Amino acid sequence: MPEIRVTPLGAGQDVGRSCILVSIGGKNVMLDCGMHMGFSDDRRFPDFSYITRHGRLTDFLDCVIISHFHLDHCGALPYFSEMVGYDGPIYMTQPTQAICPILLEDYRKIAVDKKGEANFFTSQMIKDCMKKAVAVHLHQTVQVDDELEIKAYYAGHVLGAAMFQIKVGSESVVYTGDYNMTPDRHLGAAWIDKCRPNLLITESTYATTIRDSKRCRERDFLKKVHETVERGGKVLIPVFALGRAQELCILLETFWERMDLKAPIYFSTGLTEKANHYYKLFIPWTNQKIRKTFVQRNMFEFKHIKAFDRAFADSPGPMVVFATPGMLHAGQSLQIFRKWAGNEKNMVIMPGYCVQGTVGHKILSGQRKLELEGRQVLEVKMQVEYMSFSAHADAKGIMQLVGQAEPENVLLVHGEAKKMEFLKQKIEQEFRISCYMPANGETVTLPTSPSIPVGISLGLLKREMAQGLLPDAKKARLLHGTLIMKDNNFRLVSSEQALKELGLAEHQLRFTCRVHLHDPRKEQETAMRVYSHLKSVLKDHCVQHLPDGSVTVESILIQAAAHSEDPGTKVLLVSWTYQDEELGSCLTSLLKKGLPQAP
Amino acid sequence: MDPECSRLLPALCAVLADPRQPVADDTCLEKLLDWFKTVTEAGSSLLLLQENPCLVELLFHVLKPQDPSPRVLSFVLRLAGVFAAQENCFQYLQQGELLPRLFGEAGPLGGAAWTAPTVRSGWIQGLRHLAQHPSALPFLGDCGAVDTIFSLQGDSSLFVASAAGQLLVHILDLAMRALPQGHPNPQACDWPACAQKIVHHVEDSLRCTAAPQLTQALNVLTATFGHCHGLWTPGLWVRLRPLVARLLEKDPVPASHALVDLLLSVARSPVLSSHCDPWETLALTLSRLSPTQSGPLALGTLKLQDCPQALRTQAFGVLLQPLACVLKAAAREPGRPGLPDGAADDSVTVDMLLSSKSACVGLLCCALAHLELLQPLPQCPSPWPQEALLEAVVTVLRFCNGSAAPTSDMGGHLCAILVGCVRVQRAALDFLGTLSQGTGPQDLVAQVFAVLLEYLASPDSSPTVLKKAFQASLGWLLSSPETPGCRDLDPQAQRFLRELLPVLQKRLCSPCWEVRDSGLEFLTQMARHWGGQAGFRQVLLASEVPRLTRQLLRDPESYVRASAVTATGQLSSWGLTAAPAGPEHPGVQQSLLSELLHVLCTDSEGFPRRAVMQVFTQWLRDGHADVAGDSERFVARVLQAASRDLDWEVRAQGLELALVFLEQLLGQPGSRCPYAVAVPKAAARPLAQALQTLCRVQLFEFAFRALFDCDRPVAQKSCDLLLFLKAKATSCGTPQEDRVIPDVSSVEATLQKWQAGEHGHPLGDLEPEAVMAVLRSMDLEGLQDTLAESSDHMEKSPQSLLQDMLATVGVLGENEADCY
Repeated sequence: MPEIRVTPLGAGQDVGRSCILVSIGGKNVMLDCGMHMGFSDDRRFPDFSYITRHGRLTDFLDCVIISHFHLDHCGALPYFSEMVGYDGPIYMTQPTQAICPILLEDYRKIAVDKKGEANFFTSQMIKDCMKKAVAVHLHQTVQVDDELEIKAYYAGHVLGAAMFQIKVGSESVVYTGDYNMTPDRHLGAAWIDKCRPNLLITESTYATTIRDSKRCRERDFLKKVHETVERGGKVLIPVFALGRAQELCILLETFWERMDLKAPIYFSTGLTEKANHYYKLFIPWTNQKIRKTFVQRNMFEFKHIKAFDRAFADSPGPMVVFATPGMLHAGQSLQIFRKWAGNEKNMVIMPGYCVQGTVGHKILSGQRKLELEGRQVLEVKMQVEYMSFSAHADAKGIMQLVGQAEPENVLLVHGEAKKMEFLKQKIEQEFRISCYMPANGETVTLPTSPSIPVGISLGLLKREMAQGLLPDAKKARLLHGTLIMKDNNFRLVSSEQALKELGLAEHQLRFTCRVHLHDPRKEQETAMRVYSHLKSVLKDHCVQHLPDGSVTVESILIQAAAHSEDPGTKVLLVSWTYQDEELGSCLTSLLKKGLPQAP
Repeated sequence: MDPECSRLLPALCAVLADPRQPVADDTCLEKLLDWFKTVTEAGSSLLLLQENPCLVELLFHVLKPQDPSPRVLSFVLRLAGVFAAQENCFQYLQQGELLPRLFGEAGPLGGAAWTAPTVRSGWIQGLRHLAQHPSALPFLGDCGAVDTIFSLQGDSSLFVASAAGQLLVHILDLAMRALPQGHPNPQACDWPACAQKIVHHVEDSLRCTAAPQLTQALNVLTATFGHCHGLWTPGLWVRLRPLVARLLEKDPVPASHALVDLLLSVARSPVLSSHCDPWETLALTLSRLSPTQSGPLALGTLKLQDCPQALRTQAFGVLLQPLACVLKAAAREPGRPGLPDGAADDSVTVDMLLSSKSACVGLLCCALAHLELLQPLPQCPSPWPQEALLEAVVTVLRFCNGSAAPTSDMGGHLCAILVGCVRVQRAALDFLGTLSQGTGPQDLVAQVFAVLLEYLASPDSSPTVLKKAFQASLGWLLSSPETPGCRDLDPQAQRFLRELLPVLQKRLCSPCWEVRDSGLEFLTQMARHWGGQAGFRQVLLASEVPRLTRQLLRDPESYVRASAVTATGQLSSWGLTAAPAGPEHPGVQQSLLSELLHVLCTDSEGFPRRAVMQVFTQWLRDGHADVAGDSERFVARVLQAASRDLDWEVRAQGLELALVFLEQLLGQPGSRCPYAVAVPKAAARPLAQALQTLCRVQLFEFAFRALFDCDRPVAQKSCDLLLFLKAKATSCGTPQEDRVIPDVSSVEATLQKWQAGEHGHPLGDLEPEAVMAVLRSMDLEGLQDTLAESSDHMEKSPQSLLQDMLATVGVLGENEADCY
């Protein structure tokens, strides 16, 4: 029985380290290859030994698909391809392909900087890994091999994020990655056609939440920044180089323009230019508004946002600084934080999630006295704000997507077990389909009944049509032909064509039956009586009496013989081919009833 | 335990015991457990529990009839195991009947929480920690744990199932280690009950027809023979061997993958291979498995020490079969040495190759990969059929690009299957590259070069295939013999090079950045090896390649710009530069040095700037002509640019360059390798003069700023550099020091500001005496120790972890689980 198997190595009932193995139609695909930023040992990567036990990675996996550039979806990729040894293709969209290495490099630099980790992947490894990446365009069907094809759909969430349909024959799976069903400042909403996959694997970060409008959060953010700047304070916004940073930049830039504000805004990383360059380059991936206004004004060419220099941090007066990294765990953002933390006029806004073990996590959990090296204590007097700008579909959005794609089954990943449980019940009730939520390492197996396409030969079709009956889609119709399995194809052809194609000689199969008749006359006479009887009964058929005494009706042959023991009984030997099966059976029953009395 | 941690622990245990308090971050409990493991490894667990009664309370708490979170329950099970790993602590916990209540049937095992895989996993890991001493064995028996582990082998979670198997191996080993040394009788009933139970279970599973049980049993045995090398293991193998042999009689052989792993594990075990002869079973298995299944076994067999020659031949034959079939299908000309007799006639292999595209591709890729792995090993079979393999791999590559004209039916069929198959192309090119470690007859090498050229020139070659073709070409060029006497490439390689350069030229203009980059990497490697050879120089300079390479310094893709920097740097070292043909400056020959400096100062990305720094460091080291003329000015300009760089790796590279300059001025540090080649610069100058030079190039300003850099590796490197200088100065003795004591207060004040993060103030002009005085007054050694710790060591400390976990209580609802 064919089946689809799904095993999450990461993102099964948790958020972080997405890595899902899918086996469909004999093909093995890895969906995302993320890392967990909360660990700094082996646990940060999925445990790939569960794949390598099947033999060489490249032989086992047909391809890897990366949904978007966030590290919890692509962070383990260089490790997987260059250190564990996967040498096959890696599919991702063009923006993901361009931006992925920047974030990987950013992360590598922080890891090496902090820990001096020698065992970490190198720049060269990131580059070599990215060389294995194959870009996929939206809605383009990419043939991975003769049987496996993939197709990308727009997912919103971040620039270049995509949902992927994976198809082998008539079986298909859709993996959403992270997606957002409502448009935001710079991106559109996720969309998929009614592709009716056997299985939809969807993220469920906000499985139980109906999120307030992003506009409210944006207004709140702008208000806080504005108030701080107005009272002469400095605002620090720790961000990762790409993604949320650009969204917030657009927000501030527009606000500054509208309010005619003069306080400087700085972006502290050297990556700004490249980041903005990519946003400009991939304008088709942004939302309609940005695309429309692109001709007059590129939203990513900022007038108010300038490059930051280390010396600016000591300048008096208000300012807003975007600094990397996003969790205040190293580098410039941490350095600026330490300088500004003591002043209550200042503010730090954390626009994203922070893992334990980072300063970001500490201040978000309300700690105001941070211990530094040498028993020094940093007192945090500045205001600390958290604003979630992460762009995931909420419960409503997830249900909407399920309705859009009309899958046969749903599987939840990238969320918390309790929340998943709630959503699972909702999906099962509303759509009356099965919903699964495997933990990491658990395998969900779905039996499928694949419809195998069979080609029909033109000759056979014409022959059928010649019989004058027009095909009717709603009525089943019997068609005789020969099924040929050749070159991984099924074809229905006429038996003559089959014989010719396969180079076989024809063998005739005849059904035979003996009918005993009480008739004391000679065999020839009995045969003659049979002939006359059949001639009179079967008027539409060609009944013949042959010179050797036998009688034929179409392909049916009837011969009369004497009974070896009873001279008063004659034995009729009736034989026919399968084509005349109906007539043969009918005729036998007729003969069994006996012949009419001679006049 | 740290007193502060002891103080925080009761509150934390209370939080963990409270089911209304969700645990903040899924990593916290893992890290907490890591910390407890370190604490118990360093001291007594019993003492820890006695000093911190809250811990025992926590262990008891999860047993109360409430609904603890699966995560906390899993944590507590593992924690209990960690404590019970020490025998006295185990006894202590046993007194309270805690362990049977946690791990026995009355515990979570029978509750609703058991449905969560994390709890089952915690239960197994808890027992795994606990089972460290013989007292654990009766406990495992009494609480019925072994039966539960048997059932968990078939768990729906891969992680749980695998951990269950490993735990069985661990328990078996623990039980058997408790026996007196010697050869226990295989059938002996004096084996510990626990061990007997496990072995019986394995035997039953081996007799079972269901594949999952069989695989589980084989996996347990593989791990047993892989990890346990006690003298009892041969006894076990002798006892189980007949059951394993029976599997080989079945058709098809069941659980072949696990079976192969087991047999290799047996053959690798030093105890087993000396006590029981595994070779016969291996030979039988090789003959019974299908070609795809037998590949990994054949490779594993060939890697074994002391493997009999006949078996090696058989195993090698298995690996060669697919390629032998390819050679046969190609209807090759007679006369060449072929692959071992009969290899090509293996009908099973032929059938498999022809059965379907996926089977054919899979088999060929495996064969090529296995042979590639085998070739560089010391166990590589001898004689190695280099010639036939070369011919076979060239044939495969020709089938794949459609340039072969097969005359046999099988050849035609293979050709139809393989044409355009990127997977086989990649595997074949990898293997072809590896084969360059050997040689081949001239005509065959010519074919190799020809097929490589076809791939490099073909518009159908994908970027990954091109990269591999470049790598293979480099391998073959490197292995081509030099012409005697003139250290130049042999005519054949020279011819290849002539044809290759126009192709490379085209590839450097490819719209794919991957291709341009691979082309540049290839060029760099070629220049590194043959930059000095006349033949190469001539061909290269006659082409457009140097000019194009220089143009690529302005490529839109930063990876390509970085590779172009490295390539031009390498070419320039050999004097193989081309004048820039920028339309904006016709006729103006801009020096490469200034062009690279421009990249360093203006490129928006780190890769090219880092590449420039590497080239400059190399140039300084080698005494490159553009640098040697005025190395002082060069160093000053580079350091000035590097000091402003936002990328810490560029700044760190700047310190590397500074160190090279220092070494050239002062001589290499004494600790360096005594056999290192001497610096090709003028002899070391007197210290005072050298310090003057260093002041002029503003090396100290750069190094001191770097010393207080917010990125730790930069600070570390600077600290090392200044320590080297300090040591050098001390060893040389500074003549002025007795006479003049300079006023360094303003310098020290500035340094203090830098340390506080205020980098705006310049250091001003420095005098050597002042520098030395500052160096002497600074505690560089202390700083070096501080810098040796990771920059987030405070945040990663256990105390910080406990504080974080406590601080999260209550605020979690506000900042609900979010992600990137």
